[in-house]
Amino acid sequence: MAALIYLLCALTCLTAFVLLLRGWLAGGPRLLFWSALCFACLTFNNVLLVIDRIVFPTEVDLSTWRLAAALVAVALLVYGLVSEEE
Amino acid sequence: MSQMLMGAIAALSLVAALFFFRFWRRSGDRFFLYFALSFAIEGANRIALGLVGPASETEPLFYGIRVLAYGLIVVAIWQKNRPRG
Repeated sequence: MAALIYLLCALTCLTAFVLLLRGWLAGGPRLLFWSALCFACLTFNNVLLVIDRIVFPTEVDLSTWRLAAALVAVALLVYGLVSEEE
Repeated sequence: MSQMLMGAIAALSLVAALFFFRFWRRSGDRFFLYFALSFAIEGANRIALGLVGPASETEPLFYGIRVLAYGLIVVAIWQKNRPRG
């Protein structure tokens, strides 16, 4: 069950990334670019989660890398949001 | 270190949620409301996960909530792209 949830996290996140990127490439506002970038990093975060918890559950601990990826994701998004405001 | 990173992610997620909330108030576009909700859920979820700590038995539940938060983004874009009838 837990493995399924971790996989779903990665899949929904990847879907959000692809949809946001497509929206931006189709001429959408620049905020879609920042959102896509955020979800690219979050997808990386969730892929690391799958590797950490399902592929190598005991061999590796990627928690710091996962958190760093998520922090970069939201920091990029907030930067995008602030620059869109100007 | 993990706690600090978790706190920073939670704070920035909530800041992003507030920005999207303001965009929604300004434009009335529900697209932004879905984003605001998604990042508010993600922020609250990070706080809860940080308080419970890793390797908790309820941990998969928090990731289930994360799926819901990402699902809101997918729904937001899907609604935006839906042809107006």
